[in-house]
Amino acid sequence: MNHILTLIVFFPIVAGIFAFLVHPKSVRVFGISVATIEFILSIILWLGFDANTSGIQFVEYIPLISQFGMSYYLGVDGISLFLVILSTFMTMVALIAVSIKTDIKNLVIAVLFLETTMVGVFLSLDIILFYLFWEASLVPMLYIIGAWGSERRIYAAIKFFLYTFAGSVLMLVGILYMGYLFYEATGMWSFAITDWYQMALPFGTQLWLFGAFFLAFAIKVPMFPFHTWLPYAHGQAPTIGSVILAAVLLKMGTYGFVRFSLPLFPDASIYFMIPIAIIAVIMVIYAAMVAYAQEDMKQVIAYSSISHMGIIILGTFAMNAEGITGSIFLMISHGIVSGALFMLVGVIYDRRHTKMMSQFGGLASVMPTFATIYGIMLMASVGLPLTIGFVGEFLSLMGFYRIDWVITLFAGTGIILGALYMLTLYKRSFFGEVTNEENRSLKDLNGKELSALIPLVILVVLLGVYPKPILGPIDLSVKKMIQTMDNKVVTKEAKDLIYKANSIGGGE
Amino acid sequence: MLEPISISMQSLNLPSLLPMAIILLGALAIVCIDLATKSLTKSFYTMLGILFIILDLGAVMGYQGDVRGFFDVVLVDGIANISQIIILVTSIFFLPLALSQQRFQEFAMAEFYALFLFMIAGFQFMVTSDNLILIFIGLETASLALYTMIAMHNRKKAFEAAIKYFTMGALAAGFYTLSALIFYALTGSIEIHTIEAALNTNESVSVLGIVAATILMLAALGFKLSMVPFHTWTPDVYEGSSAALAGYMSVVPKIAAFVVAMRLFEMLMLLNIPWIEGMIYALVVITMTLGNITALVQEDVKRMLAYSSIAHAGFVMAAIIIGSTEANAGLFLYWTLFMFTNLGAFTMLWMTRHKKNLWDERYQHPFTKFAGLVKVSPIMAITMAVFMFALAGLPPLSVFWGKLYLLSAAVNSGYIYLAVIMALNSAIAVYYYMKLVVFMFLKEQVSDDGEIYLSNATPILIAILTMAVIITAGSAIVVDPLLEFFLTKVSMSGF
Repeated sequence: MNHILTLIVFFPIVAGIFAFLVHPKSVRVFGISVATIEFILSIILWLGFDANTSGIQFVEYIPLISQFGMSYYLGVDGISLFLVILSTFMTMVALIAVSIKTDIKNLVIAVLFLETTMVGVFLSLDIILFYLFWEASLVPMLYIIGAWGSERRIYAAIKFFLYTFAGSVLMLVGILYMGYLFYEATGMWSFAITDWYQMALPFGTQLWLFGAFFLAFAIKVPMFPFHTWLPYAHGQAPTIGSVILAAVLLKMGTYGFVRFSLPLFPDASIYFMIPIAIIAVIMVIYAAMVAYAQEDMKQVIAYSSISHMGIIILGTFAMNAEGITGSIFLMISHGIVSGALFMLVGVIYDRRHTKMMSQFGGLASVMPTFATIYGIMLMASVGLPLTIGFVGEFLSLMGFYRIDWVITLFAGTGIILGALYMLTLYKRSFFGEVTNEENRSLKDLNGKELSALIPLVILVVLLGVYPKPILGPIDLSVKKMIQTMDNKVVTKEAKDLIYKANSIGGGE
Repeated sequence: MLEPISISMQSLNLPSLLPMAIILLGALAIVCIDLATKSLTKSFYTMLGILFIILDLGAVMGYQGDVRGFFDVVLVDGIANISQIIILVTSIFFLPLALSQQRFQEFAMAEFYALFLFMIAGFQFMVTSDNLILIFIGLETASLALYTMIAMHNRKKAFEAAIKYFTMGALAAGFYTLSALIFYALTGSIEIHTIEAALNTNESVSVLGIVAATILMLAALGFKLSMVPFHTWTPDVYEGSSAALAGYMSVVPKIAAFVVAMRLFEMLMLLNIPWIEGMIYALVVITMTLGNITALVQEDVKRMLAYSSIAHAGFVMAAIIIGSTEANAGLFLYWTLFMFTNLGAFTMLWMTRHKKNLWDERYQHPFTKFAGLVKVSPIMAITMAVFMFALAGLPPLSVFWGKLYLLSAAVNSGYIYLAVIMALNSAIAVYYYMKLVVFMFLKEQVSDDGEIYLSNATPILIAILTMAVIITAGSAIVVDPLLEFFLTKVSMSGF
C-alpha cells in the first residue's frame, strides 16, 4: 500500500494511453473495465484508510524541483478520501451509461485523462502539483463538451475554459506570493500545504491572498455572479460531460475552499464570512427561481446545482465541524444525485432528442421504472429526510445557524423552492395524460441504463439512512483542520468567532 | 615614429575566440567546397554544418580560460556561455529542417549553409562581448546573413519580407550607432563595464544624454526583440520566410538581443535615473498585451505565432526589469523551454507545407487548414495541441515552468502588479492558442486525406518533432537540472 496514491492517480492516464491501441468497437468496455479497476483501487484505499486518525495518510513525497521547493507530494485524509471515491465511482457509472457512438474511442480516452486530473486535484498536497492537475482538468473537459455537445457546443466549451483559466492564473500569482512569504519566514522554499498550515500570516496579507484564491474557486464552484458559464456548459455538454462536470468538477472549487482558503487564511475567511454567506444565499434563492422558470429539464438541474452549491458554500463558511462536515457530505451527495439526474435526462434525451418539459407528460405510465428512479433522485435532490440529500443540507444549515439564524432561514427557503421547481418538473413530465403521441411508444430503462442507475439509487437510500461510515472520517479531519485554524488566527475577532461557532449549542 | 607595440600572445587569450573561429572556418570551408564541386546535395551541407556547430559547441563548453580576452573586447562569462549553448543547440535542431520532402531553392545552394554558419558566428560575437562596437559587428553580421537567407526562399512574399526586415534592421542599426555614440560622448568609452564605472563616479554626466541614449538603444534592440511599437515587421517576415527559418528567428536572434539588453539595461537601471525603468516597464507591458491582443484576431497560424512570439518576448523582457539573479536565470529557462516548443510548432507547420496555397488565397497556414485534424490524423493533432497548450502555459507542459519561475521572480522582488499583468496576459493568450486546438479537435474536417498534412515530411523531421514533443511534455524532469545550471552560471557572472 506504499504507492497506492500514485497508482490511483496515474492508472487512468496510463490506461488511457493504452486505449489508443484498442479497437473502437471494444473501447467502451475497455473504458468501463479501467474505470472499474480504478474504483476498486479507491475502495481498497478506503479499506486501508485508518478511520481513527485525523491526519494525512499514505503520504508520498519526492522533491521534484528542489531549486524551487516544488515536490511530488500526495496524501489523503478524511476530507479528500470520499471525494476521490466519488470521482472514481461517478466516472465508472458515467462510462457505463454512455450512449455515444461517434468517435467513442476519443471520448473514452478523454474521460480517462480527466479522471487522472480529478483524482490528482484531490490527492495533491503540494500546491503547485494541485495547480497542475487543476488546470490540466480543463483540457479533456473542453474536448468532451466541444466535440460531443449540441449545437452551440464550441461556444460553451470555450466559455467554460476561458472562465476557469482566467480565474486560476490569479491564484497562481497568489500561490507564488504565498511561497515567497513562506521563504521569507523560514528561509526555505516549500509549496507543501502541510508546511504552509504551520505559518500564520498578518491580517492584511491574508485578505489579498484570500482574494486571489477566492476568484479561482468561486468561478469553479460557480458562485454568483461568476456562474454564467455553467448553464451553458451543462446545456451543451453531452450526458457524460454534464455528469462529471456536476458530480466532480464543481466540487474542486468547494474542496479548494476547505483545503486551502480556510486553513491558510483563517482571519480573512472569517472576515469575509458574512459577505460570502450572503452571496451563497443569493445563489440558493436566485438559482432556484431561475430553475423554476426553465423549460429545459437539463437547465432545471443545472440551476438546481448552483442552488445546492450555495448551501455547500454556506456550510463551509460556518467555521464549525458540523457545517464543514455537512458541506463535504453534501458535496458527495450532490455529486451522486446531480450525476444521476443528468444521466436520467440523458436517457430521455436519447429516446426523444428533446429535453423540453412541454414535450412530455404522462411518462409515468409509459416508463414506470424510469419514473420511479427519477422520483427517488428528485426527492434526494430536494433533501427529503432519509435520503442522502438531507444529511448534508441539514448539517450545513445547522452549522451556519450558530453564526447567523437570519441567513440560515433564507437559505432554508432554498429547500422549499427546490421542492417547488423539482415537483413542478416531475408533475409536468411524468403525471397526467400522455399528450404527445410520440411518447406512447417509449421504451423503459434498458439493462445498461439500469446497471448504471441502480447503484446510485442504492447509495442514495443507504447513505441517507446510515451516513456514519462517511461522516466519521470526515468529521475527524475537519476537527483537526479547525484546530489548525484556531492555532494560527491572528485577530481577536476571528478567535472569538471560532470559539463561538464551535461551542454554543454544540455543548462541547 | 610610433613605438612598436608589443603584446604577448598569452594576454590575447586566443582560445576565447576559438568557438567563433571554428564556425567561421566551417563557413569558409563550405564556400570553398562549393567552388570546387557543384554536385553535392543538401544533405551533405546540412550534416557538415551540424558537425561544425557541434565542434563549436564543444569549444564553448570546454572553454576554461579567463573571462576576458582579445584586448578585453571578448567577455566569456556565465550568461555568454548559456546563451551560446542555447544558440548552438537551437541551430543544431533547426538546420536539419532543410532536409524536407519538397525541394526548395535555398536549400539547394551551398551559400545558404555558409550564411547560416556566418549568422551563428555573428550571434556568438554579440553575446560574448560587452564592447558596443563588437556587439554591433556581431549583430550586423548575423542580420545581413539572415536577410539574405530569407530572400533566398525565392517567393514574392519572401522578397517582401527580406526587404522589410532589411529596411527596419537598417533603421535599428542607425539607432544603435547613435546610441553608442552618445554613450561614448558621455563617458569616453564604448565598453559597458567602463561606461558603468564612468557613470557611477562622474556626477556631472547629463541625465538627458543617458535617457536619450537609452531610448535609442531600446529602439534598436526593440527592433531585434520585436517589442511593440517596433514589431511591425515581425508577422510579415515570419509569413514570408519558410516555417523553418521563421521558427529559428523567433528564438535565436532574440536570445542574443536579450543578453545585450541584460548587460546594458540592467546596468542602466541601477543608476536610478528617473524614466529609464518606467520606459522599459511600459514597453514590456505594452509589448505583451498588444502582442496578445493582436494575436487574437489572426487568421493564419504562422502570423498568430508571430504575434505570440512578440508577446513571449515582452513577457521575458520583464526579467530585465526585475533584474534579480532568479529573474535572469528564469529568462534563460523560459527561453530554452520556449525554444523546444516553438521548434515543435514550426516544424509542424513546415511539415504541412505545400507548394500551393490549398486552403486560402492569402495564407499558407490558415486555421481552417487544420479543421478536424483529429479525425484525419489524431497523432498530429495531439502533437500540435501539446505545443499550443505548452505555449499557452498550461501545466505541466514546458513553457509553464518558465512562466512559473518568472512570475515567482517578479513576486519575490516585489513586482506584484507586474506579476498580475503577466498572469492576466497568460489568460488572454490561452484563447488564441486554444483557437487552433478548437479547429483541430472540434470542427468538421476539410479533407479525408491525411497525406496532405505530411506533404513535406521526412523521417528526420518526424524525429525532430518527436524529440520536441517529448521534451515539451516531459519538461517537468529537466527543469530542475536546467535551473541549477542557469542559476550558477548567472550568479557567477554577477547578474
